[in-house]
This record gives sequence, C-alpha cells and structure tokens, in this order.
Amino acid sequence: MSRHTADVVVIGAGILGAAAAHYLSRAGQRVVVFDRGAPNREGSGTTAGNLHIQAIHPSRPGQEVPADNGRFLPLQVAVSDMWESVELELEASVELRRHGGFMIAETPHEYAELRAKQAMEAAAGLPTELLDGDAARAALPLLSRTVVGATWCALDGYANPLKITPAYLASARRHGAQIHGYTPVTGIAATRSGWRVTAGGDTYDAPAVINVAGPWIAQVARLAGIRLRMTPVAIQMHVTPRMPETMRHLVQHIGEGMSVKQVTAGNVLIGGGWPALRLDLDGRSVASVRSAGGNLALAARVLPFLSGVRLLRVWAGPLAATPDELPVIGEVPGAPGFFVAGGTYAFTLAPLWGETLCRLVAGESPRVQVSDLGPDRLLIDTQSDELDLVANQERALEGAVRDSVQQGSTRRKEQA
Amino acid sequence: MSDRDVLIVGGGPAGLSAALSAAQGGLRVALVDEHTELGGQYFKRRHPAVVARHGDFRPAGTRLVTAVRQAGVDCLTGHLVWGVADDGATLLVAGPDGAPHALRARFTVLATGAHERVLPFPGWQLPGVVTAGLALHLATIDRVPVGRRVLLAGTGPFLLPVACALLEVGVRVVGVAEANHPYRLGRHAAASLRYPARLRELAGYLATLVRHRVPVWQDTYVLSASGPDRLRQVTLGGRHAGTVEADVLCVGHGFRPNVELARLLGCETRPDPVVGEPVPVADVVGRTSRPDVYVVGEAAGIAGVHAARARGQAAALDILARTGRAVPPARQRRVHARVRRLARFAALTEALFPPPLHLLDGIPDDTEVCRCEQVSAGEIRATAGLAHNGLNATKGFTRAGMGLCQGRECGTAVACLTRAANPHAPAEAFTARMPVRPVPVTALGVPPRHAAGADRGRPAGGGTPGGEVVR
Repeated sequence: MSRHTADVVVIGAGILGAAAAHYLSRAGQRVVVFDRGAPNREGSGTTAGNLHIQAIHPSRPGQEVPADNGRFLPLQVAVSDMWESVELELEASVELRRHGGFMIAETPHEYAELRAKQAMEAAAGLPTELLDGDAARAALPLLSRTVVGATWCALDGYANPLKITPAYLASARRHGAQIHGYTPVTGIAATRSGWRVTAGGDTYDAPAVINVAGPWIAQVARLAGIRLRMTPVAIQMHVTPRMPETMRHLVQHIGEGMSVKQVTAGNVLIGGGWPALRLDLDGRSVASVRSAGGNLALAARVLPFLSGVRLLRVWAGPLAATPDELPVIGEVPGAPGFFVAGGTYAFTLAPLWGETLCRLVAGESPRVQVSDLGPDRLLIDTQSDELDLVANQERALEGAVRDSVQQGSTRRKEQA
Repeated sequence: MSDRDVLIVGGGPAGLSAALSAAQGGLRVALVDEHTELGGQYFKRRHPAVVARHGDFRPAGTRLVTAVRQAGVDCLTGHLVWGVADDGATLLVAGPDGAPHALRARFTVLATGAHERVLPFPGWQLPGVVTAGLALHLATIDRVPVGRRVLLAGTGPFLLPVACALLEVGVRVVGVAEANHPYRLGRHAAASLRYPARLRELAGYLATLVRHRVPVWQDTYVLSASGPDRLRQVTLGGRHAGTVEADVLCVGHGFRPNVELARLLGCETRPDPVVGEPVPVADVVGRTSRPDVYVVGEAAGIAGVHAARARGQAAALDILARTGRAVPPARQRRVHARVRRLARFAALTEALFPPPLHLLDGIPDDTEVCRCEQVSAGEIRATAGLAHNGLNATKGFTRAGMGLCQGRECGTAVACLTRAANPHAPAEAFTARMPVRPVPVTALGVPPRHAAGADRGRPAGGGTPGGEVVR
C-alpha cells in the first residue's frame, strides 16, 4: 500500500466526473479520478445523448413525483451556451448537433400543458415557439395527424455520449489528471485536513472529494458515513440501423416518455425513459421487451415512418434518481470538502455541473444559483427510523418500476 | 403456445436430429428456422432446377428433412427467433412478413449453429475476397464457380472440402494456404488413427487435391490482398511466402458457436480457452445451467456434422426420458458414447487447427477491422491502449462491432486487438442484447404503417425515408 496526495479525488468517471476533472485540472488542481470499471460504461455511456434545452416533460414512465421543470430552466439556459463551445474547449469532435427540437402534444390537455410550458420558457428568457398541429406538421412533415401541437426550441440538440466523456477525460489527462479505471473506492475517512480515500489498495489524502458515482452515489457516500436518499433505476434505449438523413430534429412528447432523433452516423435513437426489466449493478441491466414494444409503438404513432424501420438493438443502463426528481449538487452539510452531484438530466447539465463543482471546491460562487439543490434535502438521519422507511421505499420503487409498463399501456388505451 | 413439449431453434443437422427423435418418441415438437428451407448450412437444399440438372445435394439431408416432416414436427420456416420475452422463457419470433409471434414449450433446444470466423488482413474488404462458406454454397447449391483462379487460405479441415467443391465446378484452385501445420506424422496424427472414418474423409479430399495438382501450403498465411478495384494479387507470409495471382480469395479461420440466444436465456457460459469467447456450459446431452434449455450441435461447440446429429439425438432422448417415455438405457448409452467419442475428435481437430490469432499482432494500423462501421486496427489499438478501456469501452468509443452485424464478423478480432493493447483489462465479451438480428419493429407489435394510417386518416405526408444504409 502506498500513500498519495491530491487536491481533489473524483469518484466516478462518468460524464460528471469527467467534466469536473476537466474543469478542476485546467484550473491547476491535482485531480485523481477513480472508477469501479471502465469510464463511461454505465449511465453516461448508455444514455440517449439529448441536449434538453426546452423545458423537460415532467414525468418519465413510472415516475411517481413529477419534476418541477421550471426549476431546471435557468440551468438549461446556462448550459446551452456551454455546449456551444464544448468542442472548441475540448479540442475534440463530440458529434454535437444543435438542429433544434419539438415537444409534441396529442390531446387538448397536453396542448394546454405546452402552452403553459411555453409561457414559463418565455419568462425564463428561453426562446421557444408554440405551434398548432398543422404548423408543427408544416415544420416537420414526418409528424402524424395525431399531433395537435408542439413547442419548438432551436437550441435542443445532441452530443454523442460515447464521445463527450472520453473527450473530457482526455482534456483532464492533458492537464495532469490521473484516471484509474477498474479501481473501486473501498474506503473514505475524514482526516484532520480533509479526506483519506482508499482505492486499489492505495490511500489518497485530499482536502476535497467529489462523489459523482451515478447509480452508486449512495453506496459511495455510505463509505464516508453519509446516507443519501437516492435510488438507482434502469431505463432503456432503442436504435435502428443507419439510414439516410431523414430527420434533423429531436422530437419529444409532453405527456409520455418519448424522445426520437437521428444521430450523426444515421441511426435513429428512440428512447423516453421506459423502465428496463432488471437493474443489474454488477453486470449489464436487462432490457424489457414490453417497454421496447410500448416505446416503439408510441414513437411510430407520432412519427409514422418509424413503423417501417428495423430495430438494430435495445440496451439498458442505470441512472440515479432523487425522490423529488431534481438534480443534486453541493457540499454535504457536516462533511466539509465532501461534494456530491447527480440526478436525472445529468447529461444535458454536465458542462454546468463540471464547472459548478470546480467553483464550489475553490470556494467560489457558481454561474447559476444552486444552493437549493444541495444534498441536505437528501440526507437521512442515521439516528432515526427513517432508514427502515427508506428501505421500504426502495422496495416499493422496485415494484413501481415493474408496474409502470402496465400503467403506461393502460394510459394509452384510455387515450385511444 | 405451451401445448408443445419441445421447441427447437434451428433446422440444421442437430435440430433436425433432435426433432426427429423427439417426435418419434411421441413428443409434440415445433422446429423454427429463419430460412425458408430446412437443412441448415450443412444440409442446405438445392433449387429444384439445380436438382433436375445435377441431382440432389447430400441426399442424407433430404431424407432427414422428409422424415422430420413425416414425423409430424410442426416446422416454422422463415421465422427468426430474435429474443426472449420479459418472462425469461418465451421466445420472440418474427414471421416472414415481420409479424410478431411468441413461442414457448416445456423444453427449448437451441441448435443455432455457428458463424464463420474470419480474421482481418489488409485488403480483406476488397471485392473478390469471400468466406470459404460462401464459395462452398455457390459451388454446391447453385453450381456456380466463385471465380476463375481461386486461392483458399486460413485454417481448418473445412478448407479441403471447399477446395474440392470448387474443382468440381471447374475452378482453377491455385493453392490452399493453411496457417497451421496439421498434415504430418506426429502425436496428433497417431491419435487420429482412432477415427478411421474421419481420416478416410480427409484422405479423400487430399487425394483429390493431389490429383488436380493443388498445392497445400502449410505454415502459410495471408499477409495482404491487393488489386486496383478488386482482388488481383495475394501476398503470403510464412513458409511459402510469396505472391499469388488470383481473382478470388476464400478465407476461413474456423467457426464459432452462435450463442446469442443461449446468453439471452441466461444459460451459463465459459470463455473458450483459445479465443476467450463465451461458449455455453452443457453436458453430454446438451443440458445447460437452465433445466428447461438444451444446446446442441455447433452452438454447443464446434465438432462437425456427425457430432451435431449425435448431440441432437442425445438431447431428444434425455427429454423423452425426463417426460416419462421409455428410452432403452442401452440406446442412450450408445448415443452418449458417440457424442463423447466425436467430442474427443473435435478436441483433436481444435488442437491441430488453432485460429492463428497471433497474426492480428502483425496487421498494420490502417487495416479495416469492423467493416460495418469502418473502424481500423489502429483506432481500436489506440482506444484500448488507454489502460482503462476494455472490450466494451473500446467498442463504445470506436463503434467497432456496433454496425449491422453487431460484431458477429469482427468480434474475435476486436477482442484480440483490445487484449493485446491492454492486457490488464478484464476478460469481457460483447454484451448479449436483443434483437439477435435486426428485425422490423412490427415484430415487437408496432402496427404496420398502412394499419396505422387507416386508423388515423391519411398517413403523414412529406419526407419518405429511404432504406437503410447497407455496406
């Protein structure tokens, strides 16, 4: 066992860890990154790659608490500019596409939701446009007759999840960061001047630790004696073989889980947060055929050309959700120098979160206000009965994930 | 759908033999095959017009298919088994029209065969470079010569019958480059004396080659293939290094079991000791770690047609015994002995013809390895060389193995190149995912477009997307 020192230890080499390592090492900090496996192999590498700039739809399939999509807006506005310069900054192509996106409605109720969403976006200074069904079809003739309206945001886009994290890591490495794959962290202990992290049999003393372990974020926090209310779930994605360029925009649904876009290589990616069959944190999570059928049927209803395509592959990957469906970022109260970041939409928010973590570690204020997104709201008091409650909730959530496919199909039947 | 006792996937020698024995023993059997005709690769059927002119090909196959149909086996041809339902047992099937089907029986027998293995070399993507299997298909099923001057290269006893089949349709076979040195007297040759029937077969092929003055160059392998727009010249390395003019080069580096369905069903696998690819763990009758799933034939390990038939039969007899049918123990013992004997012969063959993976160390960085996604050896090496990137991380970053074939063609090479560039990465295989082959989304229950249009007025106008990009 040898002993090392660093300025910051980053746990998790997904997109958040990679972005944080990039900003920190560029600012001159000595950074060491650990991952239990290969970098970018879990949530960050299995996600859809959407850049969600218009307000998010509040619920993925099976999600119990709708997200406060208004709270995301200032974050989305801020991160939109950061994505624009990311390729220059990283000196790498990440297949960035900013061709804009539609969020569609199929019912009068959903159209009313779009109208409210558009007003909220306007108030936040985000330029979006509300279109009725015919105007939406005029703008994107691939949309079906079932579409009664859409919001259009020119800033929505895509970046290749398999490129962006390696690009951040490469930049971090150029700035002196060390990246250790297949090196799980096995211990985190508070010291007089910070933290001692044990990984790969060695110890690393650092004043700051950043826990961005995604689905393992609660497990890693527990090593430091911190209990976080975060639950991993697995969702799935679907991809067609390469096709000639057919659609340039991201298409989402305000009321149901659906996101469709064609990527640079020509494949069409179809997702929407449908639950996988089985979360497997030791191997690869298993995709659900029922979810696949539901997601694809929904996508083909909105974009009828999709009923004539082939499915190349389905895959599943994990994400870590907070109980209130809002992101988490900040220093853990009572654990100075211990920072966490995570939650859904981490892919879109990654450049902002990387920079924010860098500023928080340096004691500077971030470019957008995030104090209400700190981990305090997720802390479990280890003295209380809440631990049992959480265990029950976790079990209940697993059941909810299983039931959600059923609910999704029931809802579609009701709508039909 | 569970009124069937046995569901067999794959209508080749193993699947047909299993179907026949099971049905004759009184079980209700369904046999699914993606092709429109039963027979698999080995007992492939000729078009009636070809039969009329040249006679039947491998009449034993015709007899077997006829017997299977007469035994009352429900034969679902043109049906692709592409996945496993959420219950972990029901098989999902795409019909010929892309319609969704689900099949389930008390026992499932996987007889999914094998894929040809080809290791890449510079120029292997040139027109005129084909697999040995394609050349054999053209010569035997269609009676069409694959080229005029043809070189065969790679490794394995399979190259010899292919060369003979090419001679039969008038091809000038300029040589057979065998990367190993199997044809000589030695320990293995002595051991092979215990298999006189197999030796007679081999001797027959070698005699034909001698008669036609076709040289067999041992310890010789392809360094590169070249030509202005299609193959003109092959550069050989090894003992018979030099250049050979040819308009077609047939390559084959053996076969690897098609294990995707077994993996999707959760059957335990072990890494193949030479290549490291997953092969199902199965006993002599093909029982896997799942009590209701058997794997037989080449899918259980490459062992040839005779072993495939014996394994199919062994699985069927075991199922008959487990379902309370009287199976004479002596008959079971005989079949088991035959399976074991042929497995020993397969082990001998494997030892004589190991895939020459070391050749991958020598291919230049600009050699295209993944042809679907056009990824070079250099890109794979550079990505894997970042010490934390294993096989799947390398796949993700380079797209190698992400194309239409989903790594079936390049998988061995990508794995070997990754391992060479990063010996510390844990042993990995490409993740088993659905569908095993691209399927129309209608196979997942998405309504076909005309139906959707009828429901909701006219279909959306505008952009009519073209077909997929197929290289």
